[in-house]
Amino acid sequence: MQANRRLFLILTLLVVFGSLGSLIWTSFTGSLVYFHTPTEILATGASKAGQKVRIGGMVQAGSLVKEAGTQKIRFIISDGANQLPVRYDGMTPDLFREGQGVVAEGPWQPGQDFMAATILAKHSEDYIPVEMSAEGIARSKESMLRSLQ
Amino acid sequence: MWIELAHFATIIALLLALLQIATPIIGVGIQRPVWIRVARQSSYVVTLLLTLASAGLVVSFLNHDFSVKYVAEHASRSLPTFYLVTALWGGHEGSLLFWAWLLSLFTTIAVWRHWSTHASSIPWILSVLGTVISGFLILVLFLSSPFERLTNPPFDGRDLNPLLQDPGMVFHPPFLYIGYVGFAIPFAFAIAALINGRITDEWILATRRWTLFSWAMLTTGIIFGAYWAYYELGWGGYWAWDPVENASFMPWLVATAFFHSVMVQERRRMFKIWNLFLIITTFALSLLGTFLVRSGVLSSVHAFASDPGRGVYILIFMAIILLFSFGLLVLRADRLRTEVQLESLFSLEAAFLFNNLFFIIAGLTVLLGTLYPLAVETLSSAKVTVGAPYYNKVFVPIMLGVLILMGLGPLLTWRGINGSRLRSSLVKPLGISVLGMAGCYLLGVGQPYAILMVGLSLFAIAAHLTDLGRGITRRMTNAKEGILTATVTLLTRNKRRYGGFVVHFGILMMAAGFVGSGLFQEEKNLIMAPGDFTAIDHWRLTFEKIVTVKGSNWEAQEAIIRVEGPRGLTMTLHPQKRDYQNQQMPTTEAAIFSGFFEDLYVVLGDAVTDNTWAFRIYRNPLVSWIWGGSGVMALGVFFSLLQGRRREVSRQ
Repeated sequence: MQANRRLFLILTLLVVFGSLGSLIWTSFTGSLVYFHTPTEILATGASKAGQKVRIGGMVQAGSLVKEAGTQKIRFIISDGANQLPVRYDGMTPDLFREGQGVVAEGPWQPGQDFMAATILAKHSEDYIPVEMSAEGIARSKESMLRSLQ
Repeated sequence: MWIELAHFATIIALLLALLQIATPIIGVGIQRPVWIRVARQSSYVVTLLLTLASAGLVVSFLNHDFSVKYVAEHASRSLPTFYLVTALWGGHEGSLLFWAWLLSLFTTIAVWRHWSTHASSIPWILSVLGTVISGFLILVLFLSSPFERLTNPPFDGRDLNPLLQDPGMVFHPPFLYIGYVGFAIPFAFAIAALINGRITDEWILATRRWTLFSWAMLTTGIIFGAYWAYYELGWGGYWAWDPVENASFMPWLVATAFFHSVMVQERRRMFKIWNLFLIITTFALSLLGTFLVRSGVLSSVHAFASDPGRGVYILIFMAIILLFSFGLLVLRADRLRTEVQLESLFSLEAAFLFNNLFFIIAGLTVLLGTLYPLAVETLSSAKVTVGAPYYNKVFVPIMLGVLILMGLGPLLTWRGINGSRLRSSLVKPLGISVLGMAGCYLLGVGQPYAILMVGLSLFAIAAHLTDLGRGITRRMTNAKEGILTATVTLLTRNKRRYGGFVVHFGILMMAAGFVGSGLFQEEKNLIMAPGDFTAIDHWRLTFEKIVTVKGSNWEAQEAIIRVEGPRGLTMTLHPQKRDYQNQQMPTTEAAIFSGFFEDLYVVLGDAVTDNTWAFRIYRNPLVSWIWGGSGVMALGVFFSLLQGRRREVSRQ
């Protein structure tokens, strides 16, 4: 009897947590979104067709075009070396503007404008999304120093 | 002047904290209690000195002393006084000082309360807590100092980040820190028990209230954060599975596992190693949470690596604490073996075992999602994020599992329940649950998850109430009491147990909120000119005009929106787009109507043409149940805390 009970317990544990484990694994690998600069995605993008990606860089100065009477916008994400045209329809975050860091998320379609489903910009001083790294930090330091002088 | 005083006080505090580590060890070694008393006095003085240091920093803020770098970076002349005080924890440096101050305060309280009752543990508790305090003070003094002066002080400061100028954000960090720091006390008790080698239940009984209190504070802190995100960030949600949020959620999950599993040790002498493991892990995750948020590693691994001092130090500090604690646990493991075996799958022990596994797996899920991107970036320079769908997919089944266990809990007994008794006590709750699910389906709820959640919640509520009812009738027959007396006596004699019930009800309310807002949110994006109207569900919104409003350090565009709701309800909402003068940063102030069943959430966007503006409108069902549920939970914890050390009245 005792041995049976133990077996029963172990089997239950295995079934419940085995299925949870496999759920974790499949949803984890399915939810990874890779981040690329325009240079990277233009070089290696062919293999990523249809995948959800994040593209980060600066909103190139002078590239932001608003379609009159709608919320549709077009702009160019630039990493200095390469540029990627982006389209977006919707409300932009507070910190979205020309010359600022930006991250656009959406499905990657090689050879077309990047259709962003989501746009992220810096969200607070203490925490900035992974992508806003080097440039963003250099910039905020700069503006901080300016304001301190 | 004040800042130098604060700096000096902190230096002396560090020296005394080091003394607090060393003297108890010597005292125990040479059997001279006077050495331990020295450690006690120094822990008291450390608290006084750190209070002085924090006060010094606050006074510098109040004096607008912008020659202090930390003040210049986190305040301005136009910042309201309230935020000048709370700017103490507005940045990394001040937060760390605040953390150390809280820990010193808790140490003092713990030593003062437990000095005579836990004499053999006190030396080690002093030593362990002294180590943690010194660890933080070294960080504050040498790597992340809030006391630095600027050689060319600016006339005005850079101001506090506008997003942080919100009551929700003011209270979020301190509650979180109180929670984190609070877990240091049970952790120290556990280490003391391990060092002493007399590992009884003493440490668990002594720290029950500390754990509960810290857990409640951590919960409140997390909820304040969610509340802030909901009211301040203007994206219509409250939880984004952002690494910063995850950092505070991980210790919460493990702590929740801990105080469930503690009951098994108290009643059945099982899970002894496991409980020690859980409390060490909880505290380690509290440190990890502080580290993740306060080292800058989340912003960018590379930026972090280029200025490694602070981060490397915290990593080494954590490694020492972890190696020491887990090493000690492994060394002592043989003394902790239990002869008690799990007897039945249908027993409370087994239910708690499953509960623990669910919470641990939830914790691992969050840990994986939070650390994996950091690992990838460190090892390969590729950058990756783990999307919210991952967490949502995993957490829904875990939440359902936990709800099943929550319902089974009151029906099961220790050591196992026989089949026929279990079946008979299952009848009522299961019946109610099925009726509820059928009702939902007939009312037109199509989402299977929502129906299942309703069913399981009803099951849990019915199970808890059945148990309560049984207790009351037993008192009425045995003690010949009236129904009112019976209820009151039952509740007040088992504060811990029924406090737990109330906490469960709070959790259920919150779960309803999560499901309601998660599955049934409605969103509408549109462009309107003054005079235009729109409808979302049974709400009709009319955009009347745009006006300009001014605050002390900001100016805003404000939309006036007249709302007509169901049952003749009318109101005006005022969503804003604010510009803060000292920081080139616009912020969105969503206008929110919170009702009992649903929230109406209106966000004002940019002007699209001269006369039209973009709007985003959400209908968020049951969000206020999350806030309400957290209040109920706090009440439950409070009720539970009232129970002293006296053994509870036996269940059967």
